[in-house]
Amino acid sequence: MFRKADNNALWAIGISLVLFFIGGILTTVVPPLVDTSWSKPFENHDPAKGITGKVVPLNDLQKKGRAIYVREGCWYCHTQQVRTLLADTKRYGWRGVDAPISTPDEFVFDDPHMFGTKRTGPDLARIGGKYDTQWHKTHFKNPRDLVKGSIMPPFPWIVNNPEEFTALVAYMQNLGRGKDWRPANDYEK
Amino acid sequence: MQLQFSRAEVAKAPEGALIHDDATAKWFLVSSVAYFFIVGIIAVTIAAKFVWPDLMGTMSWLTYGRLRPLHVNGMLFGWLLAADMGLAYYVIPRLCGVKLWSEKLGLATAALWNVIILGAVVTLLAGQNQGWEYAELPWYLDVLVVIAWIMFGVNVLMTVASRKHQAMYVTIWYTMGCILWTAFVYLTGNFATLFTTGTNQANLNWMYVHNAVGLIFTPIGLAIAYYFIPRASNTPLHSHKLSMVGFWSLAFVYVWTGAHHMLHGPISQWLQTIAIAFSLMLLIPVWAVVYNLFATMKGQWHQLRESVPLKFLMSGVVFYLLTCFQGPMHSLRTVNAIVSKTDWIPGHAHMAVLGCFSFFAIAGTYVAVPKIWGKALHSQSLANWSYWMLMIGGLGFFTTLWLGGFWQGWQWNNVSIPFIDTVIALKPIWIVRFVSGIMMFAGIVFFAYNIMATALGDHEEAAV
Repeated sequence: MFRKADNNALWAIGISLVLFFIGGILTTVVPPLVDTSWSKPFENHDPAKGITGKVVPLNDLQKKGRAIYVREGCWYCHTQQVRTLLADTKRYGWRGVDAPISTPDEFVFDDPHMFGTKRTGPDLARIGGKYDTQWHKTHFKNPRDLVKGSIMPPFPWIVNNPEEFTALVAYMQNLGRGKDWRPANDYEK
Repeated sequence: MQLQFSRAEVAKAPEGALIHDDATAKWFLVSSVAYFFIVGIIAVTIAAKFVWPDLMGTMSWLTYGRLRPLHVNGMLFGWLLAADMGLAYYVIPRLCGVKLWSEKLGLATAALWNVIILGAVVTLLAGQNQGWEYAELPWYLDVLVVIAWIMFGVNVLMTVASRKHQAMYVTIWYTMGCILWTAFVYLTGNFATLFTTGTNQANLNWMYVHNAVGLIFTPIGLAIAYYFIPRASNTPLHSHKLSMVGFWSLAFVYVWTGAHHMLHGPISQWLQTIAIAFSLMLLIPVWAVVYNLFATMKGQWHQLRESVPLKFLMSGVVFYLLTCFQGPMHSLRTVNAIVSKTDWIPGHAHMAVLGCFSFFAIAGTYVAVPKIWGKALHSQSLANWSYWMLMIGGLGFFTTLWLGGFWQGWQWNNVSIPFIDTVIALKPIWIVRFVSGIMMFAGIVFFAYNIMATALGDHEEAAV
């Protein structure tokens, strides 16, 4: 079969594509059909079944903020996924409560997805409500004023544009809150 | 018969029997070398921003988040893929014993490619980012990429169809494989993603990102290595059979592994396990290729002393072996829990794209440009300097990021260390990265100047 491909270009092309498509289809088309949690938004109102909450689409302001997050490439340095590692749940927990692990059903409305690959800065999957608006304002203006040793770039053109700043913060404060993981609802505003 | 063919074709192919026009190869090579230099400036700027985070920080279009995609896309598509395409336009007609099917179509492709790259610069600096790694460009540029790729593919495939020699050397399979796989991989990463969200979209995105390296840059890079290693050393390829093992196992195994970018992440566990299993199987195509290329050089290693292209080629093979050993190891869950998302990863990625595939493309350019223009290379010693600067700078870059990334990973796994302390701990690493980056950039400058001086200078020397 492979010998023939030495002399016959169409045969070579044919086999390369067939081999490619076996793996290609089984790993891209089939998984979302098999695992329905990829497309069904998270919803649970029964505390006995675990953490409660409901993932809903973003409102217009949050969508606008998300577009800014995408535009400025925040996702190159910040992931949005609490992985199935103890260190992740502890590190990104807050006030003594561990962060819930990120599951596919939390991200059904995410487009483009913002999972990220690199943590030059901390993960932001559960950042929503951890800091208040004034903190974000100071931090975006110059991160080093609040976090000594940070290498995050300053974003004066966002802070100086109230419309953009409000949208971005609205988006960030909503992150990770589809799972209502704070027992006393003690989110900062 | 095949073995005979590779001996005859690659080691002693008679030249001069057919005069190649090479206009398309010229334009692709010259513009890719220019982008290598320009994007190199951006690369060094980014490295500097890690050391001085306020550098140019008040201008939105020069912020890290906009320069980084420009660096990645510029290096991948402006330099590397364009150089690879230019070399394919040079190599394929020679292996087929015919002229390129259409130089006119080739020149139009080169022009279109430059339009795409310039469009990418403007849109990325303006913050028009689609939000997917390697697929940042807006959809209208994606459409142009598809058109350019079809033009390239038609030209190469028609050249192959009109070939004089029936048997196809391994370089031709890899180039054809690259053309076809790229078409589907690119469509998945840039268009199929438009119709999906969340985890489903991320899965397609990682299929694309992973296969951009595995089924675009790997096959075309290996096509170049398989042609230029026997050519530059005047030695026949060790084994035809082994090159078949490498090619067909690559065709089957690579595409399964995309999900290993999301190990421990919000994606089905069974899919992670499949990705891990196939990542380990990647060792098969890699070791088959590496053994074949090493065995080709058996008894010929002394040639590396005199030949800069061979230095680049064989170092590239070593980096290929290393980077493709790291890859499968990263995909083990235990190793991944430490190195994933750390600075180890850019160290690994740069070894693949710079240390391996760019080294192959640089070597090919060093061999092809003097032949195309019929002049001697401008300066052998400058070429040697370009090698050592890229090699030492590259090693400095890779190794410090591995060390730093590993250290960072251990620190992250100790939750009593605040995150900011893990940032501060890496500052010395980023200084070394910046210095190594300057050395690599010097290597790029020497290379680019040497090539431009050869192509554009008025050397009267005879053809090599």
